[in-house]
Amino acid sequence: MRPYLSIFKMNFKGELQYRGKAISGVMTQVFWGFLNIYLYIACLQNTSVDGFSISQMASYIWLGQAFFAIRFIMMGKKIGKNIENGNICYHFVRPLNIYSQWFCQTFGEKLSSVLLRFPPIIILGLLLPAGLGLSLPVSVPAFLLFLIGLILGLCMSVTISMFAVYLTFKTLSKRGSSSIVNTITGLFSGMVIPLPLMPQAIQNVVNYLPFRFITDLPFRIYIGNVGITEGAIFLAIGFAWLIVLIIIGKLLIRSALKKTVIQGG
Amino acid sequence: MLYAKYLKMHLRSSMQYRFNTTFISITQVLVSVGEVLSVWMLFGTFTSIGGYGFYECLLLMGITFAVFSLSECFACGYDEFSDLIRSGDFDRILIRPVNINYQILASKFDLVKLPRVALGLTISIIALVNLNIEWDVLKVLVFISTIISGTMIVIGIFIISAGISIYTIEQLEFVNILTHGSKEIAYYPINIYAKWLTRIFTFVIPVACFNYLPLSFLLGIGNIPMWLCGLAPVFGMLFIIPCLLFFNFSLKKYKSSGS
Repeated sequence: MRPYLSIFKMNFKGELQYRGKAISGVMTQVFWGFLNIYLYIACLQNTSVDGFSISQMASYIWLGQAFFAIRFIMMGKKIGKNIENGNICYHFVRPLNIYSQWFCQTFGEKLSSVLLRFPPIIILGLLLPAGLGLSLPVSVPAFLLFLIGLILGLCMSVTISMFAVYLTFKTLSKRGSSSIVNTITGLFSGMVIPLPLMPQAIQNVVNYLPFRFITDLPFRIYIGNVGITEGAIFLAIGFAWLIVLIIIGKLLIRSALKKTVIQGG
Repeated sequence: MLYAKYLKMHLRSSMQYRFNTTFISITQVLVSVGEVLSVWMLFGTFTSIGGYGFYECLLLMGITFAVFSLSECFACGYDEFSDLIRSGDFDRILIRPVNINYQILASKFDLVKLPRVALGLTISIIALVNLNIEWDVLKVLVFISTIISGTMIVIGIFIISAGISIYTIEQLEFVNILTHGSKEIAYYPINIYAKWLTRIFTFVIPVACFNYLPLSFLLGIGNIPMWLCGLAPVFGMLFIIPCLLFFNFSLKKYKSSGS
């Protein structure tokens, strides 16, 4: 366990160095937040959606902007490059499981970029007037469940990133692989449009897919769109998905490694 | 012609990596299909957004795909200008006896964007067919000039972000507000945003000139004088002049990154 922990720490601290980048990122997220909120206000003005009022929508959007780093599927910075240029062989010679190495690397980077970015956006969201800003969670139990949901979301996001690593392995194109995984995830995780705004028939399917556990579920528990009991049941489904996806990911990477050709670096 | 030679060279080099080029092109198209799907899903729940129906929004999206992909393909040198600076390759451009802007334009073509241009135009045509527009020569001219004007405006935006990266060297994420922000705004009718946002993206960065204004003319809706809406794309084309002036002014402050 210890080597994995130090891989995590190394990447966590590495990412913390990019504070300037984080400030610039926060500005972008805030701008995006406003764009989305105005767009959905324009939608919700004429037609109302049950359990998703304008102020709930605004909270959902600001949470999404604050925890954008969780939502965005990005493999560890060096992983894709290493696959493309062949340095990947150094990962092989270590007496460690390759999947776990990459998992910890991505997890570390992701966690520090979340921690750097979320406080200013949450504060700004709370300062904005209701209907445009972030409201407080509906209840204390909902807030606790929201926190558990966020941890699940973080793990789920890293797990899905591993599939982008697998695709990069197969295609040697980091750019193409990331964009394919990001498009699918973005659409079904509520990042592009909040899931409660989708047609009911589509929601019935999407609610059970792993992508919505990244952030959609915790946010909906926070705003009270999903109740406590229902939320707890869904969280359990989410954890089950997480285990299944980690196992599939490990098997895929293992099978990919059997036929690896190192690109001469 | 030198430009054609450059284009041929880039085409050849990307064909060396045929699988990679095809794969990225396909994923580019898939990304756009995902965006179309998201609009389609929104209209499964809502009937109109800011007075626009599904096909009106589809038309906006088609135009936006086309103009952004055209710019990303042919003005990629400006879009990724910070790479040129950081790698030091820009110094090589400076010592050649050919116009600098000409060389930047020819320095890179992102050919994987081309299928998306086709997709954008196809979507626009599907939308136009479904919109029951009474076509006349003037409307055809406005539509064509919208595409040209949009491409010039987006290239202008890239030129500004290139100019900024002369000072910052690293491409900072907030410059994305200019580039991706304009794209995001152009997907939906610009009148749905707050007044201050609409004003910025009409008068400072004229996104409205290939978005709300020419569409008002084509569809014959809105309360802005029709002649103004019809001429908007032409005004939009002028945007590239101050962009180039700013870029050329910034060039005088250029310091090599030394690598």
